[in-house]
Amino acid sequence: MTRLIPSEDELHAYVDDRLDAVRRAEVQAWLASNPQAAERVEGWRADARRLRAALAGYAEPNAGTPVNRQHLLRQARQRRQRRWAAAAMVVMALGVGGLGGWHVRDVSLARADLPMADAVQAHRLFAGSQVLDIQARDAEQMRGWLQRHFSQVGQLPDLSGYGFTPVGARLLSNEQGPAALLVFEDGSGRRISLFLRSPGEHYRRMPTGQRVDGPLEARYWSHGAYNFALVSQADDRRGAGVGEALRLGL
Amino acid sequence: MQDLDDHQWRQLLARLRRFAVWLTRDPGSADDLVQATVERALSRRQQQRDGEALRAWLFTILYRLFLDGKRRDRLHARWLAWFGRAEPDAEPVGDNLEDIVLAQADLQAFAQLKDEQRALLLLVSIEGLSYKEAAQALGIPIGTVMSRLSRARTALRELTEGAPQPPALRRLK
Repeated sequence: MTRLIPSEDELHAYVDDRLDAVRRAEVQAWLASNPQAAERVEGWRADARRLRAALAGYAEPNAGTPVNRQHLLRQARQRRQRRWAAAAMVVMALGVGGLGGWHVRDVSLARADLPMADAVQAHRLFAGSQVLDIQARDAEQMRGWLQRHFSQVGQLPDLSGYGFTPVGARLLSNEQGPAALLVFEDGSGRRISLFLRSPGEHYRRMPTGQRVDGPLEARYWSHGAYNFALVSQADDRRGAGVGEALRLGL
Repeated sequence: MQDLDDHQWRQLLARLRRFAVWLTRDPGSADDLVQATVERALSRRQQQRDGEALRAWLFTILYRLFLDGKRRDRLHARWLAWFGRAEPDAEPVGDNLEDIVLAQADLQAFAQLKDEQRALLLLVSIEGLSYKEAAQALGIPIGTVMSRLSRARTALRELTEGAPQPPALRRLK
């Protein structure tokens, strides 16, 4: 008699009219004597009927829906092309940004790794030269020149205690604005130079430090409105003292 | 699909759209979904079918695309959440739907069912697909179709019957 008691699946199949005629009649007969199950099944059936009625309207072709195949295909093609174009733009933007970013990184790394590299460069180029903007043999003259061009700079100390006297100075410039190279010389012709300029975006204010670059040694610090660097021969023991004196004075 | 006449074509699109509207509960994304479905079907000419099989196949494509879209949305929401812009959880019934549903309490209950339950009821009760076709369209075994159907119908019954009938127009916009 188990054959007569329909399974849950069969009840659903009954609602959906998926049973063969014989079984359908059997289930129907069984439901007739099982009012509780019959009520359940009737509820499902009523829900389905209501749903069908409520949704019938949604199967009407909508004015906004394209019904023409050619039209659809054309839209599809356009959409694909737009998608490709967008993808290409993204790739390009990433490429440009990436390469550009990489390039900038190289540049800024080079600069970040070598603080006051421009000071060392200026020393190499100009410190040995006889052609300086001004020839200033005494410290007072040099001080005046410095004050004229760099209003916010402090007092240039007298370095004669270390054996250095002024030779001259040169006004330079970089993209951050003016810079200056002040050259000093001792009795034996050894030269040191003081470089100063404004901090910029590539030349940020930096902690005090020093580094050796080939035969030269740079001591650098920031104070007031400027970055300073003292460049001397790496083997010149007076570098530390001169640097200290300049740091205190300027 | 190529040899459908204009009337059949229209009807097919309309049924796809109905399925899509009630799957997404949003007419805008339903149109996109139908469009994408037809695109995909047309691009797979070698798999073309006819008649009833064609219809079931199109429902299959549409449902897969719908699931893909859901997955993308979830991913998108996760990204947004990552950036601290958590979106409020999707309401069980979208605003858009309330415009459609208006006074029809039956549809309000239906719209509250889970996506998978709605999809199955649409295919079986509305579109008249066989259990086997529905199983194929939804990518699930036939046993799952039966148990899901049972749960869906029970849930719908409870929603229509158990909850007090909401007033005809809950929100006017």
